[in-house]
Amino acid sequence: MNSKEYRLNRLETTKLVGKIFDKHWAELREAKQKGEKVAWCSGPTVFFPQSQGIKSHFMAGYSAYCAGRGAAEQVLEAAEAAGELSETCSYHRLHTGMVHAVLTGYRVKEEVILPIPDLFIIGRLCPEMSHYAEALFRRLGKKVKVVGVDLPPPRKVEDLEALGEFVENQIREVLIPAIEELTGKEFDYEALRGKWDLLKKIAEVRNKCWEFFKLKPTPWTLWDYGVGMGFLFYAIKPEGLEYWNKVYEELKERAKNNVPAILPDGEKYRLYWDNWIPWAFLGKTIRLLVKYGAVPIFGRYPYEFFPHPEYINLSKDPIKTWVDLFYVKAKQAAIMMPEFAYETIAKHVEEYRIDGIIFFSTRTCRMWNAGQREILNRIEREYGIPGVIIEADMVDSRFFNEAQIELRLQTLFEMIDARRKK
Amino acid sequence: MHAEKNNLKIVAGIDAGSTTTKALILDSTGKILSYHILNTGSAYWETVKECLSKALEASNLNWSNLNYVVATGYGRKLVNFANLELTEISCCAYGVAKVFPEVRMIIDIGGQDSKIIHVDRDGFVINFVLNDKCAAGTGRFLELIACSLGIPVEDLGKLAIRSTKIIEVSNVCAVFAESEVVSLRAAGADKADIVAGVCRAIARRIVGFVGQIGLKTPIVVCGGVAKNLGVIRALEEKLNTKVLVPREPQLMSALGAAIRGLEELGFLKVKVDATKLIL
Repeated sequence: MNSKEYRLNRLETTKLVGKIFDKHWAELREAKQKGEKVAWCSGPTVFFPQSQGIKSHFMAGYSAYCAGRGAAEQVLEAAEAAGELSETCSYHRLHTGMVHAVLTGYRVKEEVILPIPDLFIIGRLCPEMSHYAEALFRRLGKKVKVVGVDLPPPRKVEDLEALGEFVENQIREVLIPAIEELTGKEFDYEALRGKWDLLKKIAEVRNKCWEFFKLKPTPWTLWDYGVGMGFLFYAIKPEGLEYWNKVYEELKERAKNNVPAILPDGEKYRLYWDNWIPWAFLGKTIRLLVKYGAVPIFGRYPYEFFPHPEYINLSKDPIKTWVDLFYVKAKQAAIMMPEFAYETIAKHVEEYRIDGIIFFSTRTCRMWNAGQREILNRIEREYGIPGVIIEADMVDSRFFNEAQIELRLQTLFEMIDARRKK
Repeated sequence: MHAEKNNLKIVAGIDAGSTTTKALILDSTGKILSYHILNTGSAYWETVKECLSKALEASNLNWSNLNYVVATGYGRKLVNFANLELTEISCCAYGVAKVFPEVRMIIDIGGQDSKIIHVDRDGFVINFVLNDKCAAGTGRFLELIACSLGIPVEDLGKLAIRSTKIIEVSNVCAVFAESEVVSLRAAGADKADIVAGVCRAIARRIVGFVGQIGLKTPIVVCGGVAKNLGVIRALEEKLNTKVLVPREPQLMSALGAAIRGLEELGFLKVKVDATKLIL
């Protein structure tokens, strides 16, 4: 039968990540035990309470961590025990499940337990966020203050400037005063500037690492990158810079010695991974891919983690820097807009010499799925690069069917083979 | 294996599908020697062996005459004696393109899934869509409906075209559709009208998939459900175009697999005589 045996050759440095993030999430619990304030945040709002010294959770980061620690199923079960509908966002459900677990003692793994917050900051990137905020507010007896920041995705690039102003006003007029009220002190703009300073340094190293994705064979995979993404968002800390410097050194060494991410001699198929990373199924998914000699190289969601550190201007008002990053200059908010997504993917497909695209279509987060089919058809038409849509979920195992996924993947590889034959 | 008969090379394409298993024997002149179809049942491995043995027997061959075997279908990885395994999407496209080279779109409605394949003239897949959420819109859907109406599944098509007043049936879930049919019967609805509604529900679902990659013509409909005239008529009406249906619509993937087998043996330009499958 189909013969060659491929094996994953994970970056050694990535093995350091687990302990650092265990510590990161444990610090939240410890802060609460010490009587310090704790915030839960969604969307790109986490930088603000953190700059004020509030230990802060980040919704997507926690969900990835919870799934990575093999606890997603337990916590999702807790959510359903609390009456949550299984069709709602699985990240949302992880949080209602966690609240239920904490309030009722429903058994979940200790390392994923979150402390009940003193403040919810809801960055509303999608309509689901309103329900998420309301559900948590209600389940916590209407006692936790909720601050909402609307972060509507643009419909066209020309919207970005006005949207930036719209969001900036909410940050200044609603979010910052709420943080000041909770902590009883003026907002620490210098600490926010310091966060951008560190982020800039980490993102610059990470960008240098991205260059290694252009090598054939690639010395690392998108999964190697994915496990350290938290340092570029909700865990911007000196250990993150140290970690990314180590990744860079290991990549340099691998490149020098021509050590591939897939043994024995590198990848057969270079893939683009569009959309969320399947946090609860990283192992299963990479094994499925590697079996065929395929490797995910780059992706739209992992790309949005501050790809443009050059727009971090430390002499500028640090809130304006946030606006520049998400809206006006780096345009990160546009990444979910189908036309911008198409342009981004098309650029990456050429830069990283991609053979095929996996459009990961998430059952419970539809926002990122918008336009995927049109993008797939257009990339195929204009670049001759085939794609496949895989419908599953980031963390909910009920939506992850390995046989169905493998059929689609194998067909994608056969499509690539057919194009190579021509 | 790998013996020869009259200097011809013999290849087999095995499509181990979720509902039926198909084996097709092809020689290196492009002649289809025989084929066999069996219900897959629960003993997949036994079914594959029996199906291939019966196909070989029908052309007075045995396993030792086989020079190459290509497995496809959901059970393709279980066929451990195959020389190559390929997906049914690639094989179906390949099989159809070799016998209908003008065809650009394939609607393959099998036992548990529906596939829409955009194919080029060489039989290579350009794009495809597969049903994801449930078996509504597949052969299993029809089986459930036939069971709840007490009608053999093969009679559904004939019954559907007798309908005078088509009833809308939901296509959201195969099991829910079954309970909907029970309710409709209780309300006195005619069986033919219900079945016509079910055929239309399948067609509606398929048309949604077609829309995802854009209608291409000509179209071949294959897979077991292609035998159902009610579904074919509903599809033609919804797509506003005539479709081609091979006489043996379940064998396209096995044929494609066998042709790939010949190519692996170096027979790249063989013209396949598929008369017995298409007329």
